[in-house]
Amino acid sequence: MSALRTYIRSYMVRIIIIIGILSGLISFYFVSPEAVAVATELQTWNSAAAAWTLFVGIITVFARYVRSIMKRTQYWQYRAYGIVLMVVWVIMGAIVGLYSDLYQTAFYSTKITLHIAILGQLVFFFTSGVYRTFRMKTFRTAIYAFFAMLLIIGNAPWMLATFPQVDKLTYWLLENPSMSGERTLALTGGIGGAVLGIRILLGLEKGALRATEAS
Amino acid sequence: MISTDPWVWVSAFMTICSFTLLYGDNILFRIGEYTYTCTVVAHSVVTGIPTITNYFYPLFTGAKPLMIFPLILGIMSIFVVWRKYAWIASFPYALFIGVGTGLTLRALVMTDILGNAQTTIKEAANILVGSPADQLGFAVRVIFTISATIYLFFTLFHKGPLSKPVGYIRTFGKYAFIIYLGISVGNGIMQQSGLATSAINRLIRQWLGL
Amino acid sequence: MIKVPELKSQYIWAVLLVVYLFTAIQPIGAPFQMSDATIKAHDVIESLPPKSIVAMGGSGVFAFDLESSAAQIAAIIQMARKGLRLVAVPLGTEAVQFEKYCIDAALVDKKFGGPWTYGVDYVVLPYLAGGSAALVSFLTSVRSQVSTDVKGTPIDQLPIMNDFRSYKDIALWTCPHRDFPIIARYVTGERGIPSIAFAQAAAYSLYAVYMMIYPDKIWMTNGFLGGAQYEDLEGISGLGHAAIDSYAIISAVVIAFIVLGNIRLLSTLGDEKEEVKEEKV
Repeated sequence: MSALRTYIRSYMVRIIIIIGILSGLISFYFVSPEAVAVATELQTWNSAAAAWTLFVGIITVFARYVRSIMKRTQYWQYRAYGIVLMVVWVIMGAIVGLYSDLYQTAFYSTKITLHIAILGQLVFFFTSGVYRTFRMKTFRTAIYAFFAMLLIIGNAPWMLATFPQVDKLTYWLLENPSMSGERTLALTGGIGGAVLGIRILLGLEKGALRATEAS
Repeated sequence: MISTDPWVWVSAFMTICSFTLLYGDNILFRIGEYTYTCTVVAHSVVTGIPTITNYFYPLFTGAKPLMIFPLILGIMSIFVVWRKYAWIASFPYALFIGVGTGLTLRALVMTDILGNAQTTIKEAANILVGSPADQLGFAVRVIFTISATIYLFFTLFHKGPLSKPVGYIRTFGKYAFIIYLGISVGNGIMQQSGLATSAINRLIRQWLGL
Repeated sequence: MIKVPELKSQYIWAVLLVVYLFTAIQPIGAPFQMSDATIKAHDVIESLPPKSIVAMGGSGVFAFDLESSAAQIAAIIQMARKGLRLVAVPLGTEAVQFEKYCIDAALVDKKFGGPWTYGVDYVVLPYLAGGSAALVSFLTSVRSQVSTDVKGTPIDQLPIMNDFRSYKDIALWTCPHRDFPIIARYVTGERGIPSIAFAQAAAYSLYAVYMMIYPDKIWMTNGFLGGAQYEDLEGISGLGHAAIDSYAIISAVVIAFIVLGNIRLLSTLGDEKEEVKEEKV
């Protein structure tokens, strides 16, 4: 009975995946209002169901933090603070609403400020890093450092004010050699992604999540 | 004049907590770290409330009774957090994977693969058209794209009759990538610098009022 | 040759911190040039007829997208001045807050434009979960994805939504977020809607790929510099100007440290050669 259940589960998962993939492809490559309607409905179902995954994070983090506090592991005090913060935050957000000025101010003053500061710190690490790594010992490093410096200078107001033509050079570099590298990555990444999609369609890919393999 | 707004003080404290990492791991940084983690997670929940209201409003007004199915699938998706019952989540995740893959497949083929290939061929036809800067630009695009693509395709080098010319093209492609990385890094520092400006301006101008 | 000592990272950070503090306390008002790319993006919005619906949306992280906010805020002021209408379509969890930040910072319901009225001239939709699936079904039929706005008001009670049923009602899509590729693929690629990416500097080359695939349908600005230029075109001074101000000095400091590092390399090359000779002996 258990083997039969596993068999049915496994094939139901694969059928759902195939229906999902084919809905997206048929609605695009064939002229069929019915196919478009089915695809749109499935996409709406996808979005509506995906909205519930927003609650997965808090369950996971909560459970991990509670375990940590009960076992008094390292940083348990911070985790206790974290749990209190999460509860207060959700209650505040539910009461005042996501679009309220209070929630916006609170979000901006905490998470966004922290994130901006973390990302802003990168310029410090970047500068101390380039002091050491942009030493042109080899031809490869020289090329890399030269073009990086070219762009740093090319965007600098003092250079643009003195030599306005440098702006055209900067955009030329961004839209030609640099764009070519990105185009290559897009091309090869696109081929890889398409192959992966076909492998999923043919059932050759094992799911990365436990949940996608009904076992 | 120093600010009297409590949120500006919270914001200044958070900025200082973050910048203390430059000194080393410390209590303030840990407070900042856990504040960040917990607000992100809690924000997801707060975002989820109007999102779910939006999607299931037609179900509760009777306009779209079929929305009962995504409601059931959505609740099933939460079971992924329990090891014993994670299999229940396989059905909604199968829907996510299927729908997402179908859309990605068509977009990748149309835009990323065919679009880029088509554009490269068009640019090859325009190498002798336009101003010298444009002609050089088109030539650079075509040559760099082809050589860099060959470099990626033949990362594992095969020995054979064409190995030498392919080897030269591979080497050129490698340098094309190095140039691309150098330009990206050089252009990207503007972003980091601007964000540091925003953070420090918040401390100096908004908080201390200087 | 004079031997240059190896600098500790902390000394470098201290110099940078002093520079930032200086520019924060005493802005230098660094002048900068206008770029054709920014002018083209500005002209696209300028050419739209009044009452056109412009969608602003995408998926990204607020802190990364802050770089795009400089140009987006200026663009919103331009839209209000032109009598356009704005629909915010957040496709990321932080996109709701970011788009609210841009609209609030533009002060279009107080100072610039009509003033704009919520529900008539602009609306913010709730977070649409599901990434590309949400975007595609939204474009096919707005009501398949949206039944209320972010505040919970049914969309039938919002006048602007009476004129917005599908992608055919969108005149232009602006994306101040990191995930512009899905906009390029599904909005511009599949449906031909023109789009403007207020690109982060690090992502300019990536978005340029799509600009080449769909010329005359995709335009871009380049990071904080593009933002400062857009602010200039609209006659305002915001984050773009502040960022470029400090970048004027930071760029010189970074170049100076690179040069110093290479001087250090040259000064130690002689020592390395002597060490190699000694080992051979």
